[in-house]
Amino acid sequence: MTGKEDKQTKAKDVQRGVWSPETIANIKIAAETGKHRIRGCGTPRKFPNFDDLLVLPSQLTRMAIDTYREDCKTQTVLGARYAKKPLILETPIMISGMSYGAISKEAKIALAKATSIVGTSINNGEGGLLAEERANSYKQVVQILPSRIGFSLKSIQAADALEIITGIGAKPGLSGHLMGSKITKEIAAFRQLPEGIDLHSHPRHGDIFGADDLCLKVAELRDVTDNQIPIFIKIAAGRTWEDVKIAVKAGVDGIVVDGAEGGTGAAPVIAANNIGIPAMPALVQAVRSLEDMGVKDEVSLVISGGIKDGADVAKALALGADAVAIGTGAMVAMGCVVCLRCHEGRCAFGIGTQDPELRKNLDIDQAAQRVANYIQAMTYEAVVIAKAAGKTQLQSMEREDLRSLTLEACAMTGVPLIGSNYVFGERFGFC
Amino acid sequence: MVRLDLLGMGSREVNRKLKEMLGSESEIDVVNPHSIHNFATALAGGATITVHGSTGFYTGGFLDGPTVIVKGNTGWYTGDNMSGGEIIVEMNTGSNAGPSMLGGTLLVRGNSGSRAAYGMKGGNFIVCGNVGRWLGQMTLGGRIIALGEVGQGVGESVYNGVIHVVDPGVEEKLGGNVRVIPIEDREKKEIEVIFKKYGIERGVDDFRSIVPKIYGRHQYVLFKPTHLKAVQP
Repeated sequence: MTGKEDKQTKAKDVQRGVWSPETIANIKIAAETGKHRIRGCGTPRKFPNFDDLLVLPSQLTRMAIDTYREDCKTQTVLGARYAKKPLILETPIMISGMSYGAISKEAKIALAKATSIVGTSINNGEGGLLAEERANSYKQVVQILPSRIGFSLKSIQAADALEIITGIGAKPGLSGHLMGSKITKEIAAFRQLPEGIDLHSHPRHGDIFGADDLCLKVAELRDVTDNQIPIFIKIAAGRTWEDVKIAVKAGVDGIVVDGAEGGTGAAPVIAANNIGIPAMPALVQAVRSLEDMGVKDEVSLVISGGIKDGADVAKALALGADAVAIGTGAMVAMGCVVCLRCHEGRCAFGIGTQDPELRKNLDIDQAAQRVANYIQAMTYEAVVIAKAAGKTQLQSMEREDLRSLTLEACAMTGVPLIGSNYVFGERFGFC
Repeated sequence: MVRLDLLGMGSREVNRKLKEMLGSESEIDVVNPHSIHNFATALAGGATITVHGSTGFYTGGFLDGPTVIVKGNTGWYTGDNMSGGEIIVEMNTGSNAGPSMLGGTLLVRGNSGSRAAYGMKGGNFIVCGNVGRWLGQMTLGGRIIALGEVGQGVGESVYNGVIHVVDPGVEEKLGGNVRVIPIEDREKKEIEVIFKKYGIERGVDDFRSIVPKIYGRHQYVLFKPTHLKAVQP
């Protein structure tokens, strides 16, 4: 290289602002196809998240709990508002809804087995409840989706809890999307669909057209279940303050708020990247809303979307969640590398595929143990943090245990900025 | 026959009493229904329940066995998620009748609102009068029979199942991803059996069937510029 070349900046090395390689690739695809792009896994964008909060340790103001020799309660009770049999889990980490179709039967069974190892719940997702899933799950949450594909009275009778779903964080306001490559003969029969068709599922409940109807629907489900099992509603994070109020008025036992970081088998890229808000600020809005109504201790609150480790769990509980739900993390534990290609149905790990040969790549028992280990490790991590903060139960984590690392997180959460008691924005419940 | 007076009762109490009665009674007469919502939820068994009046939203939701006859009208979502039995509405229903129904028969002798049989999975949905927009949208199975006029967007994105219609202008009202074909003789005979059962005096020769257009991929158009039509021949 000559001295002259050294001093010149080559055009290819110039940062091109919004014209990133991905943007350019997206435009080229749009120019060729005239269509929006579909991709799996949800958004790759990095949003403000629980990493932007730090936990204050116990020192002189409060006593630390011995990490290894003293107990910290992790058992979690959800949905006790009206249900006679609330969901009792050994850890506040649930497995969120992933459909048989989006993922393989082997993956569903592995996840179910994992719940029995660690004592938590699995959620069936869209498209019906696999008998093998129910047979292996510790606690079974059954979703009531707009499509009602594979859903019937029998599904309710098999459930430990119901979850009415109005949206998911990865693509709120959009319907489920199962690409034709995954609608094999087996899946087609299970879902009552023509083989190989792209399923653009139902975007709205055919029997819930508004908040008033939701009240009646919940009452109907209470009648069907005789108040035995909890009824949750899952909302995608957006107008969380208002949505939570409507859900509470409708009479649910618990609310699941799914942040924009949430995963999916397939979604328009433009939707995943631009619709909805992240989990952390949504959680704050949900808690504020419940407190405003005076029902924070009555209605269970579950947060999901990008939950990855025990620190996220501890911080989410400190902000006011009663539990978290994981999806992508559990898949990573099974082998997923978040390649963003779930929609292609060619998952080499046998998870996001219906290909009979590829499915053989997933060892069910090994995958189940790995997911169980992951949830156990996350619970350990959360316990380590909670004990360091002086708590003898995870649910005792509180906002006062947190400080914001960034101005952005401070403004979003109302948690004071580190090194100060200042809140740049609306305070969140303590001085 | 026993009589159940709903005056002053809420739906939970009504349904509890109906469940108790279904164990021993074969015919139940219901009076003073005062358009109650969530009437006859998740009932099983073989009795006939006759309602002298109108019921509200979610009539016969999750029904799985009994015959429910409503002499008046019913509100929205009649027969939601029903999997068996019969609901016979002598007058009209609100919108979204029979959403996600899996089995049984929902018969509306009058008119029905929009989005009837939305996401239907199985069973029979029959409307003797007119029916609103988007009849049978995104159904996955079952049979819909419409004896009157149908609204716009009929059959939008039907995946499986069939909609039998007599409306002569149905081609102009079709939703996406479906087509109109002649009715098969087998289907005519099946409809005749249904008509005979419910006392519907009508021929079947002028019926046609709406079925999925293609197997493979549904086609959707999210951008519909209209200005080019002006220059097209």
